[in-house]
Amino acid sequence: MDLFLAASVNGLIMGLVYALVSLGLGLIWGVMDVVNFAHAEYMMLAMYATFFAGGWLHLDPFGALPLVALLGFAAGVGTYVVLIRRIVGASMVTQIFATFGLLFFLRYLAFAVFGPDFRGITWPLAGGSIEIAGVPVSTAKALAASAALVTYAGLHMFLQYTKTGKALQAAAQNPVAALALGIEVDRMYALAWGLSIATAAVAGNFLLPFYQVSPTVADAFLLITFASVVLGGFGSLLGPLVGGVAIGLIEGIAGTLISPTFKLFFVFAVFLLVLFLRPAGLLGAAQR
Amino acid sequence: MTVLAGALWAGLAVLPAVVHNAYFLNGMILVFIYGTAAQAWNLLGGYCGQLSFGHAVFFGVGAYTSTLLLIHAGVTPWSGMWAGAALAALLSLIVGYPTFRLRRHYFALATLALAEMVRILFLNWPFVGAAVGVYLPLSLMNRPWAFMWNTKPPYYEAALALFGLACALVAVTDRTRLGLYLRAIDQDEDAAAALGIPARKYKLLAMGLSAALTALAGSVFAQYILYIDPSTVLDPSRSVLFAVMALLGGRGTVIGPALGAGFLTLLSQYAGGTLGGLGRGYDYVLYGLAIMLVAVYEPRGLVGVLALLGRAMRRGPRRPVTTAPVPSPGAGPRGADPRTSLLDVEALVKRFGGVEALRGVTLSVRRGEIVGVLGPNGAGKSTLFDCITGFTVPSGGTIVLRAGGSDRVLAGRAPAWIAQQGLARTFQLIRVFPGLTVLENMLAGQEHRGEPLFHVFRSSPREVRERVEDLLRLVGLEGSPDALAGELSYGQQKLLALAMTLVRGPRLVLLDEPVAGVTPAVIERLKNHIRAQNAAGVTFLIIEHNIDVLTELADRLYFLADGRVVTEGPPEAIQRSEEVLSLYYGR
Repeated sequence: MDLFLAASVNGLIMGLVYALVSLGLGLIWGVMDVVNFAHAEYMMLAMYATFFAGGWLHLDPFGALPLVALLGFAAGVGTYVVLIRRIVGASMVTQIFATFGLLFFLRYLAFAVFGPDFRGITWPLAGGSIEIAGVPVSTAKALAASAALVTYAGLHMFLQYTKTGKALQAAAQNPVAALALGIEVDRMYALAWGLSIATAAVAGNFLLPFYQVSPTVADAFLLITFASVVLGGFGSLLGPLVGGVAIGLIEGIAGTLISPTFKLFFVFAVFLLVLFLRPAGLLGAAQR
Repeated sequence: MTVLAGALWAGLAVLPAVVHNAYFLNGMILVFIYGTAAQAWNLLGGYCGQLSFGHAVFFGVGAYTSTLLLIHAGVTPWSGMWAGAALAALLSLIVGYPTFRLRRHYFALATLALAEMVRILFLNWPFVGAAVGVYLPLSLMNRPWAFMWNTKPPYYEAALALFGLACALVAVTDRTRLGLYLRAIDQDEDAAAALGIPARKYKLLAMGLSAALTALAGSVFAQYILYIDPSTVLDPSRSVLFAVMALLGGRGTVIGPALGAGFLTLLSQYAGGTLGGLGRGYDYVLYGLAIMLVAVYEPRGLVGVLALLGRAMRRGPRRPVTTAPVPSPGAGPRGADPRTSLLDVEALVKRFGGVEALRGVTLSVRRGEIVGVLGPNGAGKSTLFDCITGFTVPSGGTIVLRAGGSDRVLAGRAPAWIAQQGLARTFQLIRVFPGLTVLENMLAGQEHRGEPLFHVFRSSPREVRERVEDLLRLVGLEGSPDALAGELSYGQQKLLALAMTLVRGPRLVLLDEPVAGVTPAVIERLKNHIRAQNAAGVTFLIIEHNIDVLTELADRLYFLADGRVVTEGPPEAIQRSEEVLSLYYGR
């Protein structure tokens, strides 16, 4: 029982981290119907940014956060303007192909620049552990999970309670109608990309204290983030959150109770089951 | 073309006699092995549009099967590789059956996840060497039955032979009905189903062939490398590599994947050496850049780039497509037979959530009639068509086609099956296959009922071609059989869509707004075609807003409003009906 509880709590915490990485992927997928295969690569780059912010500017992850998030936002807008804008109306094959190329490009650029070494930081503030429901959880992970909740809440407020947020939703639901109403859909898409990559950057920033970075770190997250988005379903921010937490829980519980080497096997098995039985996701009512 | 390919192949075959550079031969062997897998991927992802990111599984199954059979049972890899191919094909069919229901991104994601699951399984399965992998027994070196040599040329010839097989298979696919059907499915699966093309059957065929071919490449790869483990043969990067080769070279073409495999493998081998001085990973940075550039500027890949270069050097501007005028047929005898009904729809109900789109529609079409369905927007006309043709499952009621003495219940059957019973339809928004030529569009419309699986490896029969020519002449498109359907004008596309439904000589044709949005001249021609076909024995059920056209054409009209048949009768009566006028014009 204690083992189960510990697995659940740790699974929940990791699930929130997955949810944070998936948030931006789900946002772009929902807004533009584009699947960004390179999404987790931006998280990897943000981890390097946090690493060097510590080395060069002596900033801890809290101090580096605004800088890293801003860089993420700029990278997202830049990616949209340079690449994505040209493939908005293209076929699905072209879109998948383009973001796959982006994945290659970013990953091996990091490889060329930073080399294959693993790098991590020590963050004295987050070095210990805290107790959640009687289960010890590393402070760094708890901070990352909190960052996920705060980011979700912030984005939710933005989309629901600001005029720009509403305009973004309008552009997502019906770009032609939005255009007719005077909403600059192109700018909304750019904004969505900025927000998407900024959230990935926040994830990378808080991941680094307990997860070492290397150019291929995104591999471990690629499928998990897809699974989170599909599992949760589209149409609301809640989708990737529920999906991410579900995956964290499956991974944590299956990994502890069955076998740690097979934990991802069960994650993907559940993912496929949902895909076959309920392609709109756990929460999804209508599929786009 | 075939001669050229044969000469090229012969040239490649004698190359090791001239070039002895082991580094170069190694590069070529990898080009052939990866090229085989890229061609295999091309069958499914290129022609059929099902993007697989899991082909490493089939590569791995081939590699492990032949290797384990050799080690544990002493089976020669020359046989073992076929066992691996069979196993991979079987596995692909088991996986493909549920996965092919998924559309768009979901298929790609499902294959990605399946491949990861297989990799995790192999990493933890002691019998297959788990994470450590398997060494081939080096004691068998240089015994031909063991498919093992310590020189390059034998591997070169074996890999080249396999690559030749792969290219030949794709070339055959490209030129026969299989390629045509797969491309039609890729472009618009629903429209393909409406023509009676059994999409899942052909997707499974493509997937089985693709998996088997990939497994053969995996077996040869294992024999060449002499060591396999999950991270060499089952790694997701393999799946990506095969996909990228085919996509970069040009998916859905015969030479594209071969070009892509050659370009990427040799670039990696040689640029890896040169760029290695600059630092690590630069070759992959270039890959990424190349992939993005191709995606944005030339989605057809290297083949497209070559085609553009070729066209720029040779040709002037393209000729616009023109339609020849068609003589209008006289008002021939009409074959309406008042006694026998062909289609009976009874008490048809369709609910979408809380909305009742159809509330008990009863309607019948008699043999040889032209029946019109009229009604305001939202009356349920298109939903009625979707129910009859299987694109929507009715919530209640019956639909029976009385064909050739036997009654067939249509409600709830798949669109392709219904189409094969002799029903043809057009769509409100035209759905021709924009990337296929006019001729290919027509050939896609041939009879699919009872078409044996192996017949798809042949060209379309001569009778079909002759009929297609006749029909093209009829609608005035005979001058441009090679024009892409997407480049035709709107009116021409409507004419093509009508002609496509007629290729297989259907019993009943359902037309959804055939004259909407076209010029008066084209309306006249469409009307003449419908009359002429009707005189030749085809029964029509037509949805149309243009009340004048329906009045001229139809024997009887049904007036639908709010999901119900309001009234039914000869056009003149309907036109005079106060109820209809008030519903339609708000009078």
